[in-house]
Amino acid sequence: MTKAEEKPALFPKLPDVCVRCATCMAACPVSRVTPRFPGPKQAGPGAQRFRSASEASVDDWIELCTGCHLCDMVCPAGVPISEMNMMAKAKYLDERGRTFRDWLLVRSDLFGELAARFSKIVNPLMKNGLLRWLLDALLKIDRRRALPGYEYPTFRRWFQTRPAVPGITGRRKVAYFYGCFTNTNETDVGKAAVELLEAHGLDVIVPPQRCCGIPRLGVGDLKGAREMGRRNIALLRPTVRQGIDIVFSSTSCGLMLRHEYSRILNLSGAEELAGRLFDICEFLLRLHEEEKSTATFLPISLKAAYFAPCHLRSLNIGLPALELLRLIPGLDVGMLEADCCGLGGLYGFKNEKFAIAEEIGKDLTEAAARMKPDIILTDCEGCRMQIRHLTGLKVLHPLQLLRDALNRT
Amino acid sequence: MDLKTEVLIIGGGATGAGIARDLALRGIPSLLVEKGDFTSGASGRNQGLLHSGARYAVTDPEAARECISENRILRRIAPHCIEPTEGLFVSLPEDGPEYRSDFIRACGKAGIDALPLSPREALALEPRLNSRIIGAVQVPDGAVDPFMLVVENARDAESRGTRFLIHTEVTGLIRDGLRIAGARVRDRITGEAYAIAATWVINATGAWANLILGMVGLKIGLALSKGSMLITNTRLSERVLNRCRPPSSGDIIVPNDTVSILGTTSLRAEDLEHYTVTPEEVTFLVDELSRMIPDVKGERFTRAYAGVRPLLQLGEACDDRAISRGFALIDHGSCDGIEGLVTITGGKLMTYRLMAERTVDFLCERMGLHVPCLTHVQRLPGAGLGNALKDRLLHLRRQTPAARGEILCDCELVPREAVDAILREGKVRELQDILHRTRLAKGTCQGGFCVYRLLGLLNELRKAEGSGGSNVVLRGFLEERWKGIRPVLWGTSLKEEELIESIYKGLFNLAPEEPGRPGGGEA
Amino acid sequence: MKRFDLIVIGTGLSGLTAARTAVDMGAKVLIAGWGMGALTLFGNTIDLLGEVPPETDMAEGITSWIAAHPEHPYARTGMAGIENALTDFQGLFPPPYSFAALGSGNSLLPTGAGTMRPTYLIPVTMAAGAAMTPPGTLIVGFRGFKDFQGDTVSLHLKCRGVSLSLPRYGLEGLTALALARLMDEPSFRERLGESIRLQMAGERFIGLPAVLGFRNPAVVLKTLEEITGARVFEIPMLPPSIPGTRIFHHFREMLISKGATFLMGHPASRAKVKDGRCEGITVQNPPLATQYRADSYILATGRFLGGGLWAEMERIVEPLFHLPVFQPGERGKWFGERFFDPKAHPIHRAGIVTDADLRPVDETGRVVLENVHVAGSILAHHQAIEEKSREGIDIATGFLAAKRALAL
Repeated sequence: MTKAEEKPALFPKLPDVCVRCATCMAACPVSRVTPRFPGPKQAGPGAQRFRSASEASVDDWIELCTGCHLCDMVCPAGVPISEMNMMAKAKYLDERGRTFRDWLLVRSDLFGELAARFSKIVNPLMKNGLLRWLLDALLKIDRRRALPGYEYPTFRRWFQTRPAVPGITGRRKVAYFYGCFTNTNETDVGKAAVELLEAHGLDVIVPPQRCCGIPRLGVGDLKGAREMGRRNIALLRPTVRQGIDIVFSSTSCGLMLRHEYSRILNLSGAEELAGRLFDICEFLLRLHEEEKSTATFLPISLKAAYFAPCHLRSLNIGLPALELLRLIPGLDVGMLEADCCGLGGLYGFKNEKFAIAEEIGKDLTEAAARMKPDIILTDCEGCRMQIRHLTGLKVLHPLQLLRDALNRT
Repeated sequence: MDLKTEVLIIGGGATGAGIARDLALRGIPSLLVEKGDFTSGASGRNQGLLHSGARYAVTDPEAARECISENRILRRIAPHCIEPTEGLFVSLPEDGPEYRSDFIRACGKAGIDALPLSPREALALEPRLNSRIIGAVQVPDGAVDPFMLVVENARDAESRGTRFLIHTEVTGLIRDGLRIAGARVRDRITGEAYAIAATWVINATGAWANLILGMVGLKIGLALSKGSMLITNTRLSERVLNRCRPPSSGDIIVPNDTVSILGTTSLRAEDLEHYTVTPEEVTFLVDELSRMIPDVKGERFTRAYAGVRPLLQLGEACDDRAISRGFALIDHGSCDGIEGLVTITGGKLMTYRLMAERTVDFLCERMGLHVPCLTHVQRLPGAGLGNALKDRLLHLRRQTPAARGEILCDCELVPREAVDAILREGKVRELQDILHRTRLAKGTCQGGFCVYRLLGLLNELRKAEGSGGSNVVLRGFLEERWKGIRPVLWGTSLKEEELIESIYKGLFNLAPEEPGRPGGGEA
Repeated sequence: MKRFDLIVIGTGLSGLTAARTAVDMGAKVLIAGWGMGALTLFGNTIDLLGEVPPETDMAEGITSWIAAHPEHPYARTGMAGIENALTDFQGLFPPPYSFAALGSGNSLLPTGAGTMRPTYLIPVTMAAGAAMTPPGTLIVGFRGFKDFQGDTVSLHLKCRGVSLSLPRYGLEGLTALALARLMDEPSFRERLGESIRLQMAGERFIGLPAVLGFRNPAVVLKTLEEITGARVFEIPMLPPSIPGTRIFHHFREMLISKGATFLMGHPASRAKVKDGRCEGITVQNPPLATQYRADSYILATGRFLGGGLWAEMERIVEPLFHLPVFQPGERGKWFGERFFDPKAHPIHRAGIVTDADLRPVDETGRVVLENVHVAGSILAHHQAIEEKSREGIDIATGFLAAKRALAL
């Protein structure tokens, strides 16, 4: 149903298609909480008219854009606002230089494996007040923000060392792109993904893979992001060439692999990869819709709130997780109506942006207070961290609840 | 209220303001009247091109030499009004290599630096150029902000005692026998009429020269030529782009601030006050200039406008002081037997200073004064202050809202404080004056959003004065805006217009002032 | 491949109404749009036909309008169709934040330019504007909020006006959404109410920009009225429109909760047409293009602003289905010589011509696509801006299009 396609031949000059209507101003989560960010209309196509490739960047507020893509979603003229912001941010930070903090944070994939191995030491350390104070003072990583704990064995190790699943041979294969966070910090999401896929009659494979590179994109490091992208495209190419679909459970990794590799990074092979990539819920839902799966769910009596991450919306696939959750009998699931959780990936960890992230998140906190759910479900690890932080409620990936509800008989 | 001065200058274009400054620097008192705002005529309705003279090198070497000399002077005295972009003369296959060789040779003779570039070099500088080009020549063209240039001349003169009366029109010349002794004028806003006595009257009204001369039964040979131009939403190129062929229509693209100006056509005009840009002219410019930059087709235009150039058709048996084929200084004393009246017309923005110098030289000679001209060495008052494109963005950059201030115009990033400063100065008399002095309403939405805000600010002041409200000014603005926008309404600009129309006619229910419309117009 | 009963293209008020009507009829619906649509720009009240004088009964006014304008979209829906659709719309907004007509005809409400504007269904937060009298009214603006110029409004309406500095912000760079969000905070609106009360000189009405809360407008209204003792009303202002955004979100949330698939942000770029029927649409999200199929389709993509129509230099096209577009002659004739031409600009009448069932037809009146219905402002032969009929056309034709589409 989905195929890769070249860009339209006549792509209009970016800021020219903006009609200044200000719809984006009614959607931007940042400009509604701080006057420091002038909003997408001005920061995007507005400022773009003043920018020149040959001159130094001056608009340092461009860093305040979280890259949530909501402006793109609502724009009635098709202005790729966040892409413009990303390019401007990249240029600005290339000129200014990135901090050691940025260098460190975007390499969490490298430290992750190590940290997971020593999670018994690392985890208490990350809760240590003195260390957090130091991180805050020296690196401006906000100490009010809980750092995610590490888990061992990692998802990948768990997958590789688990006993063979009986009766799996001859089944249709599906590849899983788990993402760094699932691998070292939330392995249960990966386990749930594998169980669900297998319960839907599939043979899961886990091809070699690297960090998708979205943290690097977040700090405008196009070069670094491109490098990660090139590696992943090469690592995943054999799978793609075998005609095996690849599913992802992290919407941000998914957005990066499926769209940004091509749209922003212009990587060769990106379109071929994109044509094989699916959000895992989108993929499972399709199996149900096409009646290709016999998997059923047992009742769960819970009041659940589903939150749609910004990057899921940007995938433009509807809300497949919500539709899947509706297949669980007895589950009272409604939408948690808030635009953005506010974390913006690494954004909300940064000292100078913590208050903005908190203020954006307030809408979500209030929506949760109105709904009073037992549990909140959302597809993005960043959102899960932030919502736990904001509400104190139990927050899971929809896959985890779906797995719990599987009828295993 | 009658006034008296030594020299009365009629016309607030570049020539008039240049003369005022030249006189002031030589210590001769003068007064300038202008029926609109500064640069209401051709000075404000051209391409904003800082000519290198290369355009004339082949056909009119004398004009070319004048241009390059003035070009160098302006770079020195008015760097803040200029963006030294450089220019390329681009040869397409149909333009042929012969003209290109002639052109390079002629530039050399006129003293204009001309650097031949290969197609690859030119495309590296300007990637949007037609890839079929056979070569280009780089010359010292640039962009100039005519309004700022004129206002800076006026500002300098004013600081030396010259008086400027804008929105003041001449209704008649005062004749004392065979001598012109001043003019009768009328304030177009208050309606007040009075006389200004002067020893000399300088008619620097450009295309309007015969309107003034007609008041005393005189006439010079002047034809009017309408030139139409298109403005893009964003810059098409970083350099001025010219076709390397004999001067003709539709052969130039000038970067100007955030936009580019495409020009121009050349059509005979009859009426000085009412002329429009026709759909045919627009189609012609788009077609013709898309040869140089193919993207011109599909480009978004925010506005079209036209200016009327005065073209000299002298040759009457008269001892006029036609210094150049480009402009003429006519002493009506020696020419027509009417003393005290001088007409300076023709020419172009580039030679405004030279025209002023020659005019004042002539006056000094008649007055028996021996004071040298200083305008080519004395820098304008704002020279040295930055005025680069990036300044407004720099302003926005300041992170605290208090420092950034309220941005009235989102498209051109004009802060409220810029307007406040203009209002405090007390020189502006109507909405268009404010718009001339800022880049308000010159961006993508052409004032659709910011003029509502600007009028709110003005209403705040009027409330303080205790006067009532009216949407007459808003309606007037929208009609004025319409003249520029209507010729370019297709594509994205048409979408924009549907938005603006929906705001003012729909949401705000502004209607033509007609009775019987439900709720229409004012409450 | 997943198949829907109905695909609605366009997320403006007409598309939302069509999707909502279809969902209520039990259909499996996909709604896909390129951005939020005109609701977030101009959606404040529900205009039906501003041309009808306030003292005239609306049903009578429209009936005679239809008689005089047989090609108008209202002639397709009829007065009964309009009434059914409006009742349905009102049903979506139960009290306290409800929409109602204040009499049997149009009411005049103040605008951000200080003019009065006729409209029909009015949200509870704007209702008092119709009853206000200038001497008894105080207009409140906010310093640093540039999209509502309180002094312009008060000078024109000839009433008293004040500009307040806001706590916390009070400076510059305030957006409508930021203000609306602040109003949703009880402590903020209470403090605001107090500062308004201190400025009052016996006024019985208070007019504010239309930012009285995003989630809880009726509560904000109640708080301000209790504190000030006056009737409070919102005044429509420059886009974006907070009241319109409220309507949009209300529709979207309802549609998702009822199982509709909601896609926003990428255009339906291509339609597959075979033998006079649409067989699928393609939604582009580079580098991917995804196909969706349904039995029936509703085209509700709006006019030029919404992307439903596109003006090339020489002609006007409908870019998705390439439907025939009724249009004035060459470019020079699209617009009148003056902005405020006594007649509406000819281009406003351009659009898609349909049969009685809202299916697109060609110049000869032949139906071009059997399973496509057209709704909203993309339709030809109305002048929504001048007539003040935007929301009425959207709701009435969106409702009818869904009924007809599902009756196939």
